[in-house]
Amino acid sequence: MAVGTDSARVDAVDKVTGLALYPADAVPKDALHAVVVFTNQPHARLVSMDLSKTVASPGVVTVVTAADVPVNEYGLTLFDQPVFIGLDDTGRSSVPCDVSRWEADHLVVVVAESLSEARRASALIDTEWEPLPMASDVASAKADEILVHPGSSTNTYHTLQIRKGDAVLGMEAADVIIEGTYELPHQEHAYLQVEAATAWIDEQDRVTVETSGQWVHEDREQIAHALAVDEEEVRVRYAAIGGAFGGKEDMSLQIVMAVTARKLGALGINRSVHCGWSREESIVGHHKRHRATVTARLGATSEGFITAVEADVWLDAGAYNYTSNKVLGNLHLSVAGAYNVPNARIDSRAIYTHSVPGGAFRGFGGPQGAFVAESQMNKLASKLGMDPMELRQRNALTDLSDGITQSGLPEGVGVTRVIDACVERVPPSEELPEYPPFSPIASLPAKAEQLRQGRGYAVGMKNVGFSFGFPEACEADVVFHGDADEERPNRVELFHSAAEVGQGVHTALTQMVAYAVGLDFESVDGFFSDTSTGGDSGSASASRLTFMAGNSVLGAVEEAEKAWADGARPAAGHFRYKPPMTEALDPETGEGQPNFCYGYMAQAVDLTVDVGTGHIRVDRVVSVHDVGKAIHPQMLRGQIEGAIAQAHGYTLSEQLVVENGRIQNPRLSQYLIPGIGDVPARVDCVILEAADPLGPWGARGVSEMPYITYAPAVTAALYDAAGIWINKFPLTPSVVLEHLASAEI
Amino acid sequence: MIPASFDYVKASSADEAISLISEHGDEAKLLAGGHSLIPMMKLRLAVPSVLVDIAGVRDLSHVEDRGDHIAIGALAKHRSIETSDLLIAQCPMLAHVASKVGDPQVRHRGTIGGSLAHSDPASDLPAAVLALGGSLIVQGPNGQREIAATDFFTGYFESALAEDEMLTEVKVPKSPGTNWNYQKFNRRAQDWAIVGVAAAQVDGAMQVSLVNMGSTPLRATAVETALASGASAAEAADEAANGTEAPTDLNASPEYRAHLARVLTKRALEASGVE
Repeated sequence: MAVGTDSARVDAVDKVTGLALYPADAVPKDALHAVVVFTNQPHARLVSMDLSKTVASPGVVTVVTAADVPVNEYGLTLFDQPVFIGLDDTGRSSVPCDVSRWEADHLVVVVAESLSEARRASALIDTEWEPLPMASDVASAKADEILVHPGSSTNTYHTLQIRKGDAVLGMEAADVIIEGTYELPHQEHAYLQVEAATAWIDEQDRVTVETSGQWVHEDREQIAHALAVDEEEVRVRYAAIGGAFGGKEDMSLQIVMAVTARKLGALGINRSVHCGWSREESIVGHHKRHRATVTARLGATSEGFITAVEADVWLDAGAYNYTSNKVLGNLHLSVAGAYNVPNARIDSRAIYTHSVPGGAFRGFGGPQGAFVAESQMNKLASKLGMDPMELRQRNALTDLSDGITQSGLPEGVGVTRVIDACVERVPPSEELPEYPPFSPIASLPAKAEQLRQGRGYAVGMKNVGFSFGFPEACEADVVFHGDADEERPNRVELFHSAAEVGQGVHTALTQMVAYAVGLDFESVDGFFSDTSTGGDSGSASASRLTFMAGNSVLGAVEEAEKAWADGARPAAGHFRYKPPMTEALDPETGEGQPNFCYGYMAQAVDLTVDVGTGHIRVDRVVSVHDVGKAIHPQMLRGQIEGAIAQAHGYTLSEQLVVENGRIQNPRLSQYLIPGIGDVPARVDCVILEAADPLGPWGARGVSEMPYITYAPAVTAALYDAAGIWINKFPLTPSVVLEHLASAEI
Repeated sequence: MIPASFDYVKASSADEAISLISEHGDEAKLLAGGHSLIPMMKLRLAVPSVLVDIAGVRDLSHVEDRGDHIAIGALAKHRSIETSDLLIAQCPMLAHVASKVGDPQVRHRGTIGGSLAHSDPASDLPAAVLALGGSLIVQGPNGQREIAATDFFTGYFESALAEDEMLTEVKVPKSPGTNWNYQKFNRRAQDWAIVGVAAAQVDGAMQVSLVNMGSTPLRATAVETALASGASAAEAADEAANGTEAPTDLNASPEYRAHLARVLTKRALEASGVE
């Protein structure tokens, strides 16, 4: 099966027929059941905890607390979070653990014979808390009067800056300056499959956790750190994964269930233990897309050439870092857009607050940055009376640009390409087509003048792979099988840890191996996402797996071919692919080469707004992507359509309400993700294939790109329709109506 | 999201159901389609200790022509109302409103009797029956009585039904033609209405009701009065929120709901032929 064709997904039959086992399905019959009890305290000191009634409650097997965690800390990039809040930790953690900083900090795990017994016993925990003052948002945390983490004099714990040229002179040289303050909201991942895990001690005495995540080796590293054991003593494997989107990149049940399994083992109880979160526990219990505030200025000449960019970014990290420092880096770079900016001053800060942690979510800071950059460009076009895409074309980054980090860009810059293709498909001068009226909404104006149509554009780029000098690599193993006298192998085994989060990576890798070896798709057997069989793949994130894992399997096939040629039967090949090294940015100027590959995108959005109610209907999205090479075009379109549906919720309907560190609407009946009647009526995917010089068959990445440009394209279309700029979202009907009213429309 | 424990009994006739609820008093709830009651039980907003399942009761699913009105059995499903030729011809507004309830799965399970007896101010069908000036037949241990829709909805999820009574039939006047409209505004397709407006001309007079503008479905009496004294659609619609106490929640403020009531009333009236 050639790359570039649509094979059937390797997991299609199992997922459609219900045979695929997700983490909450594969529970052994004799498993014990665990409940993770949250502190329910956004900021309070634990004064006392009495577990005697819980322990004595019927069916209870054990209770796991801070005392059971050898090193009571975790965090993907900073160890700043206790595994458990408690009074009796081992003291081997850098984080004081008697203070809860988040309502979903873990307090204890109650293990019982049944879930109902575990729940009943959980309700009997007797705690006394001393409430502490709250700094629950950026405004209150900035003052540093209340510190979220002791041991530092400020909540602003991570800062980045860019100094390029002279921003003051650049602004002075501008004929036009656009200024705006943008409020970016939280978003909940809302994956279909909520967190669940089963843990046990396996026959080799390894603590084994079966769950769903995005990087088995990272999970293993975090577990081993907390347990203070060698990584080889821990095994992590993934069941079928029902969506992740960055929300499963961090730890949820991994460490606490490993600790629980180990405690059961120490008690001589040789049984599995299972825990599955409810939707409410999931929404309260994991991080969100960051909320942020960005104030930006954009200076340009009257011909539309950018003279300077200034920006101040405040990223609300919440109570713990998660990956906020890395998300901040992406936001920091993307706030200047995909344009030549001769002069820039950008100051970006991540700040701790007593609120839900922000973390990885499709786009990883890119959507927030693009909303600012593209809103500024759309406003500039409007102010200059210029075609918005012509304005972008004049400023577009090319292979000759030095970029905002003054280091040049990886070869093959595609900004002008996606702009051209978008304009060809959706000319700005074209009359808007007549779209059918909004069918699922029963409230339609009797007179058409209450409906206004508009069109908006946005353009962007997103890095593929890890940035800023993070050691980036991906391993693969293949084994060729066949008889000694056969010229070619008749079967290949592929061992890989790439997480199949729904995006189709297992199919793509199988397809790549089959094509590279010259076999049928069916002759490749994949074994995935198990630290006991596969090497370290890195995570299913940063739009990186097609590029990274693709290169890793190509390398492994090449190694196996050599062994095969030498007569080895079976012939094994192992390969660790490493892309060009990236760099951390200079702390003063922001100079450096942060990335090795980018994907490029442009979008046009047509919408209709009902000015009587404020309701917006998106009629059509044209989404243009330079993907290098479409390995599996059908799944590629699936990624584009799915990303747009998710971005549609972010832009129009999803509104997480957090008050004083507590989520007020942790249910899908109150947190409105769009349904099939709400998503854009039509998405046209335009795929460009300008090969990346390093990508497998030229492939780049696409998983995040369609998401990133959607919100600013929608707000630009709303301006085109009704003459109002809205610098925040979601664009709920009442918000739109308020703006319409203040503009007297 | 797990209901409290309860007992379950299945009734095979209306009489049996009534005797079962008489026996258990306020501990018991009737279960028909379950699309309102079960979610409330899961959220523990309703904690009945006995569920009397009437889904299997025969002879209460009819849609019948009774001369000047149409009689609908309480167990008629939304889907059968939506597709009833008789209703489409003689009471098209009701058929249309039924088609706007939830999604197809909901409409194949939910019943008109359940929807009305539940008395949710955000529901579509109670407001439709109210705008039509319908009435409800209820049966208790001592026989039947008829309650006008205007007297039926007494409070937030409260109706004129006594503990030992069961709603058996809904009567709506024949109101054929095109002088009707239903406006339903929601933030997300297939959700409950943020605000809805039902308008229908019955015996020559325009009758209007409001969804989710108070603790019960409401007749927009100020609008009707204005229309009766010759107001235009726009003038009458300005009165739509008068005297209402719209709820506030994460979806909408009372002010936004009042605005919607006015806008949607104007649209409903204009679409119903009011100039």
